Amino acid sequence: MKDGGLENKKELENSKKQSKSSKFRSKSDDFALAIAKVAVAQVCESVGFQSFQHSALETLSDVTARYIYTLGKTTNFNANLAGRLESNVFDVIQGLEELESGLGFAGASDINRCLAKSGFVRDIVHFVGDAADVRFAYDVPRFPVVKERKGMGSFQEKGEEPHGEHIPSWLPAFPDPEAYATESTVGNGTTSGSDGVKTGLVRIERKIEWPLLNFQQQFARNGNVGDSSCVGGDSGKAWEVSNSNPYLAAPLHFGEKEVDVSPVVLPTKLSNEVASRDPVSENRFVGNHVSVLETFAPAIEGIKSGMCEYSSKQKNVLYNQRPTVHFKIGIGKKSLNTAPDFISKNKDLQKIAYWFENDNEKDDRKRRAENFMKESMECSQEPGQL
Amino acid sequence: MSHNPQSSDGKHDDDSTLSDFLASLMDYTPTIPDELVEQYLAKSGFQCPDVRLIRLVAVATQKFVAEVASDALQHCKARQDAVVKDKRDKQQRDKRLILTMDDLSKSLREYGVNVKHQEYFADSPSTGIDPASREE
Repeated sequence: MKDGGLENKKELENSKKQSKSSKFRSKSDDFALAIAKVAVAQVCESVGFQSFQHSALETLSDVTARYIYTLGKTTNFNANLAGRLESNVFDVIQGLEELESGLGFAGASDINRCLAKSGFVRDIVHFVGDAADVRFAYDVPRFPVVKERKGMGSFQEKGEEPHGEHIPSWLPAFPDPEAYATESTVGNGTTSGSDGVKTGLVRIERKIEWPLLNFQQQFARNGNVGDSSCVGGDSGKAWEVSNSNPYLAAPLHFGEKEVDVSPVVLPTKLSNEVASRDPVSENRFVGNHVSVLETFAPAIEGIKSGMCEYSSKQKNVLYNQRPTVHFKIGIGKKSLNTAPDFISKNKDLQKIAYWFENDNEKDDRKRRAENFMKESMECSQEPGQL
Repeated sequence: MSHNPQSSDGKHDDDSTLSDFLASLMDYTPTIPDELVEQYLAKSGFQCPDVRLIRLVAVATQKFVAEVASDALQHCKARQDAVVKDKRDKQQRDKRLILTMDDLSKSLREYGVNVKHQEYFADSPSTGIDPASREE
């Protein structure tokens, strides 16, 4: 079967386009396709085949599924054309005739034919009479199974009173206030790591809502008290997690050192400087996935440019038992998008830089600290602009 | 079956034939299970609470598959006969009838379905050089 390359390509593209636009085969279809394969295999066996090639069986079962689908579509169309919602036996017969029109059937040329005695129906009658009654091999359960979704209770259901008159009682209730307090603190890295993007998104939304001042207050509170009290448990968990997978490790707080190894002086010093200046923006970063921040990039862009280098550096502090080393950070505004790759690349860079540690690094850090200062001043001047 | 004279009687006969046929469908269990047919019909927007229509669709599909398979079988047998003619002394008739992509694409082409299959995937420079090995 040698075909010209061009023909192949065109048809491939066409079929791809068709399959994409009609979305006929999706992942959820696997079960149905598997059943179709079994059914088709049984039919082929009754015809006389003894074995199949896998690809041939898959192709034929796919064609069968499309046949049923096309038949249903045509039938529905015919019913709608006649002004009905529910399909009729005549719609089905017309659809069948349309599908079989390529091969032709008895009486096709007769314009005034009656559908009931269509040649096709006769063929089917003969077929049913001749064919052996072969049942399907397995018991097929009813599918697809519709999952019962237990939604969040409304105010009415929970028996709570909505917080204001403007909130109707049939809306879902707010989560417990305790949930707010824990999520707004810094050290909740484990949950964010495990739950993934969704919780991070929710938290980011909340954070954007809160006014800056409020945030600052909370943070100041947490900064003083938090390390010991609320984060104690988390840091323990974080330690375990960080042992297994550095990407899931909890982020550090200000002033908290990573591990018992190698006292890293400069980053903490830097962190102290920055903490005093712009705790707000720091809060946004710590404990979040980088990818989450990407989605909110326009909102946080202004702060990002100042803080991105710091955050990536802080993540470096996490990645354990390595002296955090100075690395060449690229263009500030871009770095957040590439941070995950960035960090893995930097492990190599770290090794190399470690060997060549010199005073130039410290100068760079000081310079960067000054940059942070400048930009955080700008940020704090415009609190309303998020 | 003439349509013009006794048209009303003729129609009744046809209708009764059809309804009888539909009734008989309930006795016959098609190989293609109802749930599968329902799934794809639901996907396409077909709405009908009548089970007989679903059986009708199932039977029609089964007929289609049977026709395609029988065409492929004929192609397969024709090829085997051709092979046997060449090597009559060996009498090497392959008893197993295998549904191959080759036969399938030939028979599907008559139904308007173009199935083109890669002959081989070239993962090494020597792939596809030997023309004798055509089967997968």
